Amino acid sequence: MGTIRIENHEIPFREGDNILKTALAAGMEIPYFCYHTALGSLGACRLCAVEITPKDPGKAPQVVMACLEPARGGIEVSISSAAAQQVRQKVIEFLMTNHPHDCPVCDEGGECHLQEMTVACGPPYRRYRGRKRTFTNQYLGPLVHHEMNRCITCYRCTRFYQDYALGDDLGAMRLRNEVYFGRFQDGPLASPFAGNLVEICPTGVFTDAVFRQHFARVWDLKTAPSICPHCSIGCNTLPGARDGMLRRVRNRFHPDLNRWFICDRGRYGHQYSEHPARPLTSRVDGAKVSYRQALAAAAEQIKAVGDKTGGLGSVREDLEGNTLLRALLNGFNGIFTAFSDPRLEAATITAVTALQNTTGAPSLAEMEQADAALIVGDLTAHAPMIDLALRQAYRSGARLAVLHSGPTPLARFAATALAIPPHEMSVCLSHLSERAAAPSAANSNQKEMLANIVVSLTASHRPLLIGVTETLSASQIAVLAQLAAALGPGARLAYALPGANAYGAALLSQTGRATAMLEAIETGHIQNLIVAGNDPLGDTRLGARWRAARQRLDSLIVLDCVATATAEAADILIPVAAWAERSGTFVNYEGRAQGFTHTFRRPEFLPSTAEVIADLARHLELVLPDIAAALGDTFPGYQAPVPGAPGSPLPAPAIPMHIDTTIHQGCESHPGRWQAALSTWYGDDPLASFAPALTELVPAVAALISPAAALNEGIKAGERVRLQGPAGTVVLPVQPDNDVAAGTIALTRAVLAQLGAGHGDPLELEKVS
Amino acid sequence: MKIAGQTNKRIASPLIRLWRSLWVTLRHAWAKRETVSYPEIKRSLPGRWRGRIVLTRDPDGEERCVACYLCSAVCPVDCIHLQARQQDDGRRYPETFRIDFSRCIFCGFCEEACPTLAIQLTPDFEMCERSHDSLVYEKEQLLIDGQGKHAGYNFYRHAGIAIFGKAIGEGTHDTPPVDHDTNLP
Repeated sequence: MGTIRIENHEIPFREGDNILKTALAAGMEIPYFCYHTALGSLGACRLCAVEITPKDPGKAPQVVMACLEPARGGIEVSISSAAAQQVRQKVIEFLMTNHPHDCPVCDEGGECHLQEMTVACGPPYRRYRGRKRTFTNQYLGPLVHHEMNRCITCYRCTRFYQDYALGDDLGAMRLRNEVYFGRFQDGPLASPFAGNLVEICPTGVFTDAVFRQHFARVWDLKTAPSICPHCSIGCNTLPGARDGMLRRVRNRFHPDLNRWFICDRGRYGHQYSEHPARPLTSRVDGAKVSYRQALAAAAEQIKAVGDKTGGLGSVREDLEGNTLLRALLNGFNGIFTAFSDPRLEAATITAVTALQNTTGAPSLAEMEQADAALIVGDLTAHAPMIDLALRQAYRSGARLAVLHSGPTPLARFAATALAIPPHEMSVCLSHLSERAAAPSAANSNQKEMLANIVVSLTASHRPLLIGVTETLSASQIAVLAQLAAALGPGARLAYALPGANAYGAALLSQTGRATAMLEAIETGHIQNLIVAGNDPLGDTRLGARWRAARQRLDSLIVLDCVATATAEAADILIPVAAWAERSGTFVNYEGRAQGFTHTFRRPEFLPSTAEVIADLARHLELVLPDIAAALGDTFPGYQAPVPGAPGSPLPAPAIPMHIDTTIHQGCESHPGRWQAALSTWYGDDPLASFAPALTELVPAVAALISPAAALNEGIKAGERVRLQGPAGTVVLPVQPDNDVAAGTIALTRAVLAQLGAGHGDPLELEKVS
Repeated sequence: MKIAGQTNKRIASPLIRLWRSLWVTLRHAWAKRETVSYPEIKRSLPGRWRGRIVLTRDPDGEERCVACYLCSAVCPVDCIHLQARQQDDGRRYPETFRIDFSRCIFCGFCEEACPTLAIQLTPDFEMCERSHDSLVYEKEQLLIDGQGKHAGYNFYRHAGIAIFGKAIGEGTHDTPPVDHDTNLP
């Protein structure tokens, strides 16, 4: 720590920081292109020229690149000296010689770093009269548009894509002033973080291909601080809307969570709110009615059956909606839960309880500091930004161990990656946990690898354990927590939860309520079901049972903003505002409550879920506390988080719950010859699956099995097999995949829903001749 | 004497002024008239007159407007609204282009801001309507079939992007595209 004199101001600097970083931290403007806080200095653009005057009076002042010059005490830095200004002006002039005359048709215009820097320090007119160098463009998929002529060779794209996000299908080609950034050949970018190229490119080489389809200039967009609704991380985003339509989503800096980047699901999944099939008018028995009429019909139904009403909240519904729905159900002693699948309910509640008993889950910034990590499940599909944080940990030398049943991109970076069938995961985790408590000799190859994982976890200072809730059972989650406890106080524990507000929903639910609700519907004790933002009829494992139960219901009242199977089957459908059209609170995987506010309003009247329930209560002449009071009752000392602020821990009372870690050997060890495993991809969640651009990238549907199993069965790649599950049969081509465990068939969510099987359920496989 | 002279002046000077103004009035009664009987007679206005706004076409007959939003950004009274679209061949065009002439102050900023010389002000000011709505001009009413004041300019010949009929590297100031698959010079 010392001080450096910049423009006659004494600025403190940290040892090892360069002049540019020091100046930017102090709020002083030095023009730059290639420097980025996350990517560091490169010195490629030569724009950040400053003049430094050395301590020694005998030495002449010199112009240096601020991003490459370490800050030292005693030197004087001048940003505004004539020599530095001249260098910057000439650099801009050179960068602009080949830049095309594109600004009117370029999507970056208005937020273009090159435009700003040219206006700020470049010459006002082009002197170069020669011909311009040109490049052909590549097709980079439905998300990112490529316009290579505009490149200024700052290398930010490859530094992000290859060095930071560890992707390998975008790189620099050729040489001299003809360096080309692109893929080996045309094709969609494979990285789940490719969309960040749009933000990281200082000019318009990479632009948002989805935004391009209904383009508006940045100054015309209405924006408001928001939270990503697509997974449990709670990345901070900035949606932009115009003319009653959501146009795009950009990253919003959060110091502990997403910081500079978001994943493609967050950036492109928002188009679900523009889906043509989105319900925008209320419907009663299929007929379009007004909101008031729908409310009256719903109130009539509820009054008719009295207390035989159930309420199904959702992990993607905000805290306000879930809390008010529970309060409404409490009004007539109905059952409330936020989960349609009892297994997921138990798993999520166990995960939240386990987190409450520890110091809490680490933030993404803390995860990057881990020096060893155990990952159970596929993080790239369930929490992409944790994947990116772990890639940073891997870059700094952390040893990653991945236990997975289906394919997971993180396995590539893992020191130990073990493909384990779902039914053996419990045994495996218990073994790890026992070993961490008392080391013993290994007697098989797999056990030796597990022993290595324990050794690397115990040897590390900041070990990290992460489980994917959706593919783990409650007991497995509890065993993972035990393992964390056995590793000592330095070990951190986190779970990728199944929705943006899964943490909050779990605090409002109780284990066993989902089963109780299903049974109550089947026995006729619940005749009326209010579903807010959930899709029980489209559930992978219990969809068929829910569909049968639905027949026994007098009425199904659905509040949702997407056309799910449940919304399609509703008797009374009340469309609600999508997340960018309402204000609310999401509680992320750490238990951090973050507020978001509405970016815009649609021309149609679309209330939030909480507003609909409050209106419904008024129709029922039921006294319901207002949202603030209801939240205050549930979470003592609750204060609504301010949208745009970093969020605060939710003051939640501890869940009184006995965690059962005993593994039920009987039901878990003999599942039959084949088992299903959930294999999704980064663009898959109940909302983003309605976003057209993302759905273009959905991997081809196939039954993924391990090559050894394929050989044993005599099935070749591409041959068709018939899969039989409890609810149906599906014929699919087989694709051997090294990342799939033995005896496991990795299938997408949609296929599992057709089969009626969940992760770990037995399946029958038969060759189709 | 002194007092008498002052009295004479007091009487003479208003009289002179009165006769002079009467003479001027009388002279103008026979002078050539500046006023024309509008609307029977219409004066020809200078070409740079800032009147009704039009959208022009390029020499190939295609729309010049690329929907860059600069006109709507610079408009001091916010009377321009448009929505950009893209044709399959790469051309940008305004899907909607709406000017509210009841709001427009004919300042000409839009014309000055337009990078493609598409939006132009014309010497036409006869835009009297009975209702506000009919002063809101849509794209069909704005788009003309000519090039307006600036003949010969075609933005896409100078831009770097490819459109139908002009691939990358075929622009006025472009060299053929670099083959990025080889390192040979």
